[in-house]
Amino acid sequence: MMLLEHHAKALLAAAGVAIPDGILVTAANVAETPITLQLPYMAKAQVPVGGRGKAGGILKVKTESESQPVIEKILGMSIRNHPVRSCRLEAMVDYVSEAYLSLAFDADSGTIKILTAAEGGVEIESPEMRAKLLQASAVPELEAAKAALETLIPALPDALQTPIREAGQLLLPLFFEKEALLIEINPLFITRDGGWVAGDAKVLTDDNALPRQPEMRALIERCPDLYPEAALKLAQGFDFVQLDPQGDIGLVTTGAGLSMQLVDEIVQRGHRPFNFCDIRTGGFKGDPSRLIQVLKWVASGPNVRSVLMNFFAGNTNLAELVPLILQALEAVPELRQPITLRMTGNGLEAARKILAESNNPIHVETDLERAVDRALAAAEAGAAEAGAAEAVHV
Amino acid sequence: MFNSFIDPAIPVLVQGATGRSGRSQTAQMVAYGTNIVAGVSRRDDPEAKLPLFRNCAEAVRASGARASVAFVPPLDVLPAILEAIDAGIELIVTVAEGVPVHDALKAKAATREAGIRWVGASTPGLAIPGKLKMGFLPNVSLAPGSLGVMSKSGTLSYEVCYRLVERGFGQTLWVGVGGDAVKGLRFADLVPVFAADPATQGIVVVGEIGGSEEEELAEALLASGCKKPVFALLAGRSALEGVTMGHAGALIQENVGTIETKTAALRKAGAEVSQTIKDLVEAVTATLGHPIKS
Repeated sequence: MMLLEHHAKALLAAAGVAIPDGILVTAANVAETPITLQLPYMAKAQVPVGGRGKAGGILKVKTESESQPVIEKILGMSIRNHPVRSCRLEAMVDYVSEAYLSLAFDADSGTIKILTAAEGGVEIESPEMRAKLLQASAVPELEAAKAALETLIPALPDALQTPIREAGQLLLPLFFEKEALLIEINPLFITRDGGWVAGDAKVLTDDNALPRQPEMRALIERCPDLYPEAALKLAQGFDFVQLDPQGDIGLVTTGAGLSMQLVDEIVQRGHRPFNFCDIRTGGFKGDPSRLIQVLKWVASGPNVRSVLMNFFAGNTNLAELVPLILQALEAVPELRQPITLRMTGNGLEAARKILAESNNPIHVETDLERAVDRALAAAEAGAAEAGAAEAVHV
Repeated sequence: MFNSFIDPAIPVLVQGATGRSGRSQTAQMVAYGTNIVAGVSRRDDPEAKLPLFRNCAEAVRASGARASVAFVPPLDVLPAILEAIDAGIELIVTVAEGVPVHDALKAKAATREAGIRWVGASTPGLAIPGKLKMGFLPNVSLAPGSLGVMSKSGTLSYEVCYRLVERGFGQTLWVGVGGDAVKGLRFADLVPVFAADPATQGIVVVGEIGGSEEEELAEALLASGCKKPVFALLAGRSALEGVTMGHAGALIQENVGTIETKTAALRKAGAEVSQTIKDLVEAVTATLGHPIKS
C-alpha cells in the first residue's frame, strides 16, 4: 500500500528524519482544525499517485483569505481517478538545492537497491535524470545495505555527502523494520546551514507483512476512509476497488487476473465497470457475508444498470456456491438490477438445479463471452428505459 | 518430454500435508498420477494415506523425494523453503498467497545460493498434463498438447486454457509463476525450457500489469533466438494506478509496469499480444492450424 505523504512523513519523522511542519485536513475536520502554520504555506493533495503538482494538486496559500478556498478546491479534486480525501498543509522550506535518495528492491535479482542523485525534483523520471542516478545493490540484509550506501558517497558532491549518508543511515533500518517496498525522498532539500529536510516522501509498504506490522495495521484501522482498499482487505480478506462511481456494470467476480481482464474487456466495449473485485470464493467457508457486502456496494452505485457475476469453478464447487448467492440476494433486496451469472466447472448441473428450484430470475450462462454480451445488453436496455422515463418526467 | 525442467515421475513430498487444503489437494495430486511419496507435518494424522515425517530431511532420507509442494500458510513459506533446501530438495512449489516481500527476498537469495528452483509464491503450481501436477491447476483446463504455458494469474489462465482445450489445444507444460512481485521462477526463466522442447509448438503467456517480468521475458525471447510463436494476454489495462489490484504484484507506479510498456516490449520480441481472451484463442488457432480434437 502506498502511504499518503502525510503518513509517510510521520513514519520518517519518528525515525529521526527532519520534515517540514504539517497538518492533515479532511472535509470532515477542516472547519475545526486550527492552522498554526506561518503564511505562506503549501496545500498538498494526498493521493497515492505521483504527478500531483502537474495535476494542480499542490498550491501555495499566500494569504489567510485564500486558505479556505484553496483547501476546498484541493479536497474537491480527483487526481488520476483518485478522489482527494485529505490535504496536507505544510510549512515552506528555505533550501539551496534538491537531491534524491531512494531505497527499493529489485524483483529479478532479489536485492535491495539504493539510488541517489545530486539533483532531485519532479523530472527524476526523465531519461537524462535517470542517467545521472548513482546506484548500488546489496543482498537483503541491513549491514550489507549500509556498506552498499557507503560505496555511493564518494561520488557525490562534497556538500551532499553528509546529508545522504545521514539520510541513508536513518532510512535503511526503517526499510527493514517496517518491511517497506520503497522509501523515496524526492526532493531531499539541502538547507543553507548544510542540513537536510525531506521535501516529499513516498513509502510503499507490504500488505502481506501486515500480520506482523502492528503499526501499519493501526494506521489502516485508524484511517479506513483514507485507505479503503487496504482496510477492506485487512478486515474482510478480499479485494474490492471502486473504479468509477458513475459506472454502469457491477462486478461480482473471483480471481484477480480474470477480474482485471473482465474490467478491461468491458471498458473496451464502451462500458464503465463500477468496480473491480476479487471476492475469493475459497475464503467463503459456507458463509454468504462477503457476497452480501459486495452486493450492497454494487447496489449503491447510482448508475449501475446490470450486474455480472463470474465463477469459474476449477477447484470450488458451484453446488456449494449457488445457495450462498441465493442467500446473499435475499439479504440485499435493494439490488434490483438484472443479474447475469456465468458459471462453469465443478458441480454445474447440481447448481443449475438449485437455481431452477429457487425461481430466481437470475440469468445463467456457461460461456463467458455470452455472459458479457448479455450483461452489457441489459445495461443498455436499462439506460434506454431510464432515458425514456426521464423524458416523460421532463 | 520435459526432462529438462522436471521429470514427470519425480518423487514429490508435500509440506503441510495434514492441513485442510494440504490433505485434500494431496489426494487430488495422487489421483492425477503425481508420484507423491511422503508428507511432512508437525502433527500426526491417523487418516493420512501416505507416510508422514516430522521434517523434510527425514522424509527425503526415507522416501527419496526430490521435489516438494508446500501447502503452508504465507508466514511459514520462508521456513518451509529453508527446510527443503537443507533436505536437498531440487524444486519446490509454494502455493500460499500473502508471503511478505522481505521473506520472498530472503527465499530468493537462499534458493539461488543453493542452486534449487522455487516456483511461487501465490500460484496454483505447475503441471505436465496427464502425468504430473504439483499444486491445483484445475483438471478441466488441463490436457496434453503442444502449448507451453506461463501465467501470473491462476483464474485468468484457467479460463484461457479451458477455452484453448475446448478448441483442441492442450499443454506440454504449464507453470504458474504466481502473482507476487518477488517470486522464485520468472517468465524469462522458462524461455530456454520451452525453446528446447520439440513438443512445444507455441508459447502462451498470461501476464498482467506491475513489475517488469513481461519486459524481461521479451528480452529473453530476443536473446534466445526462439522462433516459436508467442501469444500473450496482459490483464490490467484499466487498473487504477497506485492501488493493488488483487495480486500483490499488480501495482502500477509512475509508468512502470503498465500495459503499454509490456505490450511494446513483447511485440518487439515478435509476440502476438491480444487484448481479449477471445482474440488470444483465435490467434493460437490461426497460427497453429486447425484444432485437433484429442
